[in-house]
Amino acid sequence: MNVSENKNNFTELKRFLNLKRHEVPPPGYFNDFSAEIVARIRAGEASGGRNFAGQLQDQAPWLVSFLRIFEARPGVIGAFATSLCLLLLFGVVVAEYSDSTPQTIFTTTASASQPLASSAVPGVAGATAFAPVSEGGIVISTNASLQPAVNLFGQQNASPLFQPVGFTTTGD
Amino acid sequence: MIMSEPATAPDASTPAGVLEGDLVRRARNGDLHAYDELIKRYQERIYATIYHMTSNHEDANDLAQESFIKAYSALKSFKGGSSFYTWLYRIAVNKTINFLKQRKNKYHLSLNDIDFNAEHDPDLMALISDKTPLRDVGLSELQKKLNEALLKLSEPHRMVVVLHDVQGQSHDEIAEVMDCNIGTVRSRLFYARQQLQGYLAEYIKPT
Repeated sequence: MNVSENKNNFTELKRFLNLKRHEVPPPGYFNDFSAEIVARIRAGEASGGRNFAGQLQDQAPWLVSFLRIFEARPGVIGAFATSLCLLLLFGVVVAEYSDSTPQTIFTTTASASQPLASSAVPGVAGATAFAPVSEGGIVISTNASLQPAVNLFGQQNASPLFQPVGFTTTGD
Repeated sequence: MIMSEPATAPDASTPAGVLEGDLVRRARNGDLHAYDELIKRYQERIYATIYHMTSNHEDANDLAQESFIKAYSALKSFKGGSSFYTWLYRIAVNKTINFLKQRKNKYHLSLNDIDFNAEHDPDLMALISDKTPLRDVGLSELQKKLNEALLKLSEPHRMVVVLHDVQGQSHDEIAEVMDCNIGTVRSRLFYARQQLQGYLAEYIKPT
């Protein structure tokens, strides 16, 4: 097919495309078109600005594009949800693993005869054994009883739950 | 009424162009009467472009309205680097292309009626003369075939054909609206026409 043939064919095609110019909307369609748009704009302004979707479009267009992927491909949202679940599961497993690890650490530090580190070991019995610790001229003494100071009926408890702490400066 | 008369942006040097600038300035300050005037000025062209792209009246109605609403909300960002008309057109074109990308190939035709003038259009009469393969085909069937063929084109190719061959815009205007260079517009137009010609081969008179 040479150039002139192409040109002729396109002329024929353009005639065909002329048909599109004769497609018209229903009679009177444009009569209220602008009024409808203005009413929608007014309604948007009256409701205190644009809707959330509109604001999101302006402020985070990347997020809107991301969400549109889900609209276009429903399978993607399933994959995304599955990956989120797996991530959550992974997080739980890691958290459980990390919970068990510090016990080993505390055991090690306790055996290294570090008084302050050993105070982190849970248990009332261990805490009662603490001797006053001196740090830079301040003596800290603890009362190791862990019973409430006042019981439910307002009576003084012999062994309160809190630990009273006394600070004494040594005048260093 | 012929919907898609050749669309030319108002010249800024003419009184109409100055008036447009004034309308835009007032609309930017929240004057909805001014914006109403701008809508009336461009509603038919914007609607027609979207309609020819979607081949669906309802979609075209929604997208045209949303384009005007978006343009109003974005008026403050309109710097005046191009005419308001071109800027508005760009919004409508981008909105339509995004919509069509989401819709993928799932389309259904909701075609407008053909006006009475079509029967007196010399081009169409020549097309349906006794010497063509279209002699036994009615205008409505031709309309359906043409729209189906257009929908087979990719969005950018369809847009170029619609803007140039249906809307009558120049290559320069199309390049500005579609944010590409003129060479791209020309090559897209040529390729799109070739494709269309192939799809409509049985309806186009052989040379």
